[in-house]
Amino acid sequence: MGRYIARRLGQGLVVIFGVTIFVFVITRLIGDPVKFMLPLSATPEQREARRAAMGLDASIPTQFVRFLRDLVRLDLGESTYVRGQSALSVVFDYLPRTIQLVGLGMLFAVVLSIPLGVLASRKPGGITDRVLTTLSLIGLSMPQFFLGFMLLIAFTVKLQWFETGPGPWTTNLILPAVCLALPAIGRLSIVVRSSMIDELNTQYVKVAKAKGMTQRRILGVHALRNAGIPYVTLLGWEIIRALAGYTVVVESVFNWPGLGFMAKTAIKNQDFYLIQAIVFVIAVIVVLLNILIDVAYKVLDPRVDLQ
Amino acid sequence: MRWTFVSTLSRGNDLKKRYRILGALVSLSVVVAACGSDDKGSSDTTSQGGGAAVEGAEITIALGSEPTSLDPHIVDDGAERAINDNIYETLLSRDAAGVLQPGLATALPTQIDDVTWQFKLHEDVKFHDGSAFDSASVVASVNRIVKLVADAKTDNDGFYKTLTGATAVDATTVNITTDGPDGVLPARMYWLKMIPTAAETSEDLSEALVGTGPYKFVSRTVGSDIKIEANADYWGDAPSISKVTFEFVAEGGTRLAGLKSGKYDLITNLPPQDVDQAPQPVDIQGQEHPVLILDTDEGITADPNVRLALNLAVDKQAIIDQVFGGFAVADAAQILSPSVLGFNSDLTPVAYDAEKAKQLITDAGLEGATIQLVGEAGRWLNDREVLEAVAGYWTAAGLKVQLDILEFGAYLDVLFDRESRADAIFVSSSNDILDPDRQLSTYYQAGGIGSSNTNEELSALIDEGRQQLDPAARQATYEKAVKIAADGSYFVWLASNSDLYGLSERMSWTPRVDSKLLVKEMSVTS
Repeated sequence: MGRYIARRLGQGLVVIFGVTIFVFVITRLIGDPVKFMLPLSATPEQREARRAAMGLDASIPTQFVRFLRDLVRLDLGESTYVRGQSALSVVFDYLPRTIQLVGLGMLFAVVLSIPLGVLASRKPGGITDRVLTTLSLIGLSMPQFFLGFMLLIAFTVKLQWFETGPGPWTTNLILPAVCLALPAIGRLSIVVRSSMIDELNTQYVKVAKAKGMTQRRILGVHALRNAGIPYVTLLGWEIIRALAGYTVVVESVFNWPGLGFMAKTAIKNQDFYLIQAIVFVIAVIVVLLNILIDVAYKVLDPRVDLQ
Repeated sequence: MRWTFVSTLSRGNDLKKRYRILGALVSLSVVVAACGSDDKGSSDTTSQGGGAAVEGAEITIALGSEPTSLDPHIVDDGAERAINDNIYETLLSRDAAGVLQPGLATALPTQIDDVTWQFKLHEDVKFHDGSAFDSASVVASVNRIVKLVADAKTDNDGFYKTLTGATAVDATTVNITTDGPDGVLPARMYWLKMIPTAAETSEDLSEALVGTGPYKFVSRTVGSDIKIEANADYWGDAPSISKVTFEFVAEGGTRLAGLKSGKYDLITNLPPQDVDQAPQPVDIQGQEHPVLILDTDEGITADPNVRLALNLAVDKQAIIDQVFGGFAVADAAQILSPSVLGFNSDLTPVAYDAEKAKQLITDAGLEGATIQLVGEAGRWLNDREVLEAVAGYWTAAGLKVQLDILEFGAYLDVLFDRESRADAIFVSSSNDILDPDRQLSTYYQAGGIGSSNTNEELSALIDEGRQQLDPAARQATYEKAVKIAADGSYFVWLASNSDLYGLSERMSWTPRVDSKLLVKEMSVTS
């Protein structure tokens, strides 16, 4: 397994490198951070001087060579929006809040999706199943910006149970985490349900039933573990999508100043360096998560060959 | 210097009714950009608290954005100033009406020669770290900014590019020199924050906030808040508020909700449509002037009669009432506020005359001609509504209006395009240091980055005004300059929208024309 992980890490490096270069090219093609850094009344000479001071007056190939040279040393440049700070340090300032949000959101998702899926799978087509499946579909098809505003209106404006903005998790993090979790619960519980139905129709479950094993043990120990592989695959995907996309929306709606919030600000201000650093760090996390998921397969099903 | 106090608060109730009918005109979300207009302000209305000031009170202020740096010299950012204006001080200050006053200097500077200004400093002033404030600190502060300008590391070139250095005459006397006669220098010294001598070579002072001001930096939580507390050793009058938390709340609705619930004592950028919801709204005519820059050289706007028609066609009062909820003052055919040197009090707003506008367009044979109007949405208060209203008025005058509301980056490309000027470009011009030079050289002077005229006489006057050292002479020069633009209808002047703040019931504070949030001027009543 060690060799496997080493190989995957190697591949991951290529992915991270590729993504970072892609972002370099895209940002250089579309933007000019100097336009947003300086006050409106700054003169053209002042703008040119700033571009020169930042090395943005050099040709794109020259900038690219410099970029690669710095990238090797993990120097992704200074943010142009959060002034005087390396882009990576800005990312690490804001990342913890995003990890808290995704962590709590995914905790909700796991804790709720498994029992709901199992419950629905017990009598496929029954009333419980139909109600839960319909609810799941509603949850997974609701866009988060809409869901977020509905939650805000209900729980922050009307009931005043929660607050927006940065603050303690009990008052400020639960609602955005729920907003992040609800669509995931919908998708995950459907997977739990269908994998459980498949598992419950297999020979080994029938044998277990025949020999008088309790329903609880069949479900909890055998079927659920085997249903775990598609579940873990989807859960990994949910975490990745949350980190690399959904949090931008959820953090903006709830004013939670995490990395998604900062990503939006960086794009608005065409802060190349910060955009690059955010994508870089997210890419590293995604690569590591994918390796973790593969390892989880092996743990769940020792027959999986990681070679 | 002249200024007028215009009370607009009484219009709040009227506003309520109007909004029921005309609510659609004003969008629900009012987003005002952080750097352009976050820290404006000044007011005609003094807030009323009941009872005596509470000593040692703690307050919370909600700002619309987080400072992009805490270095007092690097960025041009209203959120940074909101914090640092309380921590650092400058050689000169301004009273609430904008008139220059001594600050760390004991008096206004005296001129040694055309390029040298001498400042006498207060004795016994100490920085928060205990080091003395003296002529060496002034030299360090000036040297640092000169170097930052030379290295293109500060966004504030516009304020300091004429400075060449400073020399200490004795411990409390310092000479500051400029690259030529510079009448703006006193105003610049109202802006340049004084740092300790040891900080001169620092790359970034964001982590070491050491000033002479009435408040000391306490802590910062990135993304969340900054706390400051009263400086017990402050050389001036001790402030009554002892602790301040600045929170960063991007969403206007959240700021208002926090104000209503008592979480915040002061919120910035209160939207006019929310005034009647705030416990204690205060407003003042600040420095914000939304205008349309007309191309005087090419296209249909090259005809002065057409430019006049474009002015006559716009009902400013309707925009004031319906877009700004009454919280605006019609511009007297200039982008300067009455609180700024150079304001020409002989000029009056161009009166609304739809008939005459239509006639002028017809006479010019331009009925049905296309005029391009370029703007953006979201950076300035109700900008989209202003643009749509203007487009409507111009259409009524007989023109076909091509209204381009662009993404901000694309909009800047149009504003900065020196090769070909759009017929009309929307911009909201502001003035930080309350000196006309930068505002006029940007929008009035030929070649200025937002200017669409090539009038050499006007350009020469703006250069002259900068180089004159006597304020009265400058006043006369600028009055002439703004009159040329007014007579030639170089712009469509609209209305200066007021700075609006929401205060909690217990707060007592009068907003300032320079929009500074000076906590030492605030108090809490029991």
